[in-house]
Amino acid sequence: MKSPTAQSAKNFFSAEGKATSVFRLFRNHFLTGLCIALSLLTLVPLFSIVVLVIQNGFPLLSANLFTQLPPAPGMDGGGFGNAILGTLVMVGISLAFSVPLGILAAIFVNEYAPVSWLAAAVRFVAKLLTGIPSIICGVFAFAAVVLTTHKFSALAGGIALAILILPTILLTAEQALLGVPYAFREASFGVGATPFQTIWRIVLPEAMPAIMTGVMLAVARAAGETAPVLFTALFSQNWIKGIMEPTASLSVLIYNFASLPYAYHIKLAWSASLVLVALVTVSNILAQVIFAPKHR
Amino acid sequence: MYKEPSRVHTISIFTTALDQLRGCVLRMSSLAQLNLKNSIKGLLERDDDWCNNCIADDEEIDLLEMQIDHEGIEVMSRFQPVASDLREVVSSIKIGANIERVADQAVNIARRARKLNEQPQLPELHLLDRAIRLSLTMFDDAVRAFAERNAALAVELKSRDKELDLLNKELTDILINRMQDDSANLPSYLNLIFISRCLERIGDHACNIAEDIVFAVSAEDIRHPAKQ
Amino acid sequence: MPNEASQHPLELTNDFSPGEMNFIKVDNFKFFYGKKEALHGINLEIPSRKVTAFIGPSGCGKSTLLRNFNRMNELIPGVRHEGDITIHGTSIYDPSVEIIALRRRIGMVFQKSNPFPMSIYENIVYPLRIAGQNTRSVLDETVERCLRSAALWDEVKDRLHDSALGLSGGQMQRLCIARAVASRPEILLMDEPCSALDPIATAKVEELIIELKKDFTIVIVTHNMQQASRVSELTAFFYLGNLVEFDNTRKIFTNPSMKQTEEYITGRFG
Repeated sequence: MKSPTAQSAKNFFSAEGKATSVFRLFRNHFLTGLCIALSLLTLVPLFSIVVLVIQNGFPLLSANLFTQLPPAPGMDGGGFGNAILGTLVMVGISLAFSVPLGILAAIFVNEYAPVSWLAAAVRFVAKLLTGIPSIICGVFAFAAVVLTTHKFSALAGGIALAILILPTILLTAEQALLGVPYAFREASFGVGATPFQTIWRIVLPEAMPAIMTGVMLAVARAAGETAPVLFTALFSQNWIKGIMEPTASLSVLIYNFASLPYAYHIKLAWSASLVLVALVTVSNILAQVIFAPKHR
Repeated sequence: MYKEPSRVHTISIFTTALDQLRGCVLRMSSLAQLNLKNSIKGLLERDDDWCNNCIADDEEIDLLEMQIDHEGIEVMSRFQPVASDLREVVSSIKIGANIERVADQAVNIARRARKLNEQPQLPELHLLDRAIRLSLTMFDDAVRAFAERNAALAVELKSRDKELDLLNKELTDILINRMQDDSANLPSYLNLIFISRCLERIGDHACNIAEDIVFAVSAEDIRHPAKQ
Repeated sequence: MPNEASQHPLELTNDFSPGEMNFIKVDNFKFFYGKKEALHGINLEIPSRKVTAFIGPSGCGKSTLLRNFNRMNELIPGVRHEGDITIHGTSIYDPSVEIIALRRRIGMVFQKSNPFPMSIYENIVYPLRIAGQNTRSVLDETVERCLRSAALWDEVKDRLHDSALGLSGGQMQRLCIARAVASRPEILLMDEPCSALDPIATAKVEELIIELKKDFTIVIVTHNMQQASRVSELTAFFYLGNLVEFDNTRKIFTNPSMKQTEEYITGRFG
């Protein structure tokens, strides 16, 4: 039994021995480094896109883009104000349908009848629908709206987008509601509040930041989808006059212009991409700021 | 009405502490019994050695009384006993005090016996026999009742106190008469009277112990019953 | 029995005589979570303006019974009951009794303090707002009254509009007590209110309970038997869904009648 003072390297904590701890330490560092590297790697595509879009879209950026109509093929000048407006209108229509529907359905599923067969069915169907190909939404809206009204319209486009984003909004709203601690509801019921009062005064305000995040995700998706609007809202070279008219949209415009052989139109397509990305980013930031949780 | 706690405490050191306290009281009581027997022996056999033993051994009993007080307080502050445990601790402390008084009375008897042994023996000594037997058995029964947690025995014990009081009174009257006739042996008669008094006090303390036993066992307070 | 046509059965003023013995009466009450019978035929009479403690090992049913007094258990799906609970003569299951009204007459404090994610002020006036009371002067007066009752006024009177979540644990629990008394209930139910608090905060809440019992009937569930013996006048011991013994606290802790009670309180259980 060596006395503690005889071996200077040994101390109270080195009973473990060197070999095992060296390996464990190395493994720990390696995996940590791997995680960091992969995380950085995930940022690469995002930054590449942003950098690329800014690089190529910036040259043509001016106020004209927002106020003028697209130039004819082969011509210069103009902008894509109608496409911006069209996108905004259709996204607005889709939100008008899907946000109330999604949030109210989430409230029903989570607050009123969480263990009912109806809630289970709604959740199941919503999860299925998140994977629906966007073109199917377009096809459905075509059949349901375009064929019945006998016109291509922004409304049809908006409805197609609504079907696309409804599952996302419903599911994220449900998650947001689940994220509100049950203790708040219990306290509210304990003082004699009705379920409606509890939801309206406590649960919904508390869940709003998370719900808005979900809505913004949906907006980003809706703004950028091409397939659903392709044969519902079609396209237009002019400003939109009413929701029952076909309309231009940023995504379709980018699709159209990018496949033209004219350099100017291709540059316009880049600028439209930049505007689209900027629009989505700004609305995300605004949502975070406006609906930020106040009491933390 | 007594409900024996059938199992030990979940916290075993609590049970150990209570057992330890009880052990102290039992040890103290058997020492006191021994001292009492020694002093009586010294009295009846006119042997000073027994008396001296009794007086010397009293110190240990005093120390045990302090130990019981300290341990009892420690159990109360540490474990916050309730119900039967609380009653047991409080009773143990009080019984310790009473046993110490009994031992003091034994010492008094021993001292008086020594004085008596210096003088020629008085035949009246044997008048004390019944009182001695009664008070000794009362104390022995009190100790047994504590050891066995026997409330019935304790209650029965209390009823014998009246007889002892009467004996003491009778004895005192007889001895006072004797003193008037035989003034040469006045000191010895006085000592006998004091010894009788000590025996009567021992009986009282045995009764107090009985009352504390009954309280510990069944939560009944049998002190000072309503006057008939 | 104050049951005039103009008055809802449970909208009482505080004019019943103090010390009324059967203020809360539990009548052969059984409670089921689905198929599982959690409470077996409880019979109990809780007097008014006194503190009654429910003690017993985990899972014995004391919290279950407590939460039935204001029908909070009905938030759980699949529960049912047999028997009755009456408060001041009216059954809480009477069809004419609205659960909302019942819960407004009874204040509840939970084990883990649960203030709303709002300011201190809004937390306390929440019960009034949901009852439709929005007059500023009434709300202000209520906030001061309740915070004083909860011995919290001096500590927070300068920051009423700060978030309630910024308070310490003990303060949050006292805030919950203040909120519970905001709508002037007659009964206060407390489910292990001090179990998450340090000794000083616990002592403050206990002192509060002793003060509050002048105006409220208090039923407190506690795991801490010393707490039960400190604050309550009556104690009920539950075991495995049965009421084993119900008596004055002093009697229960010096000489209980039932062997099971004795074994539980002296720590000889299990």
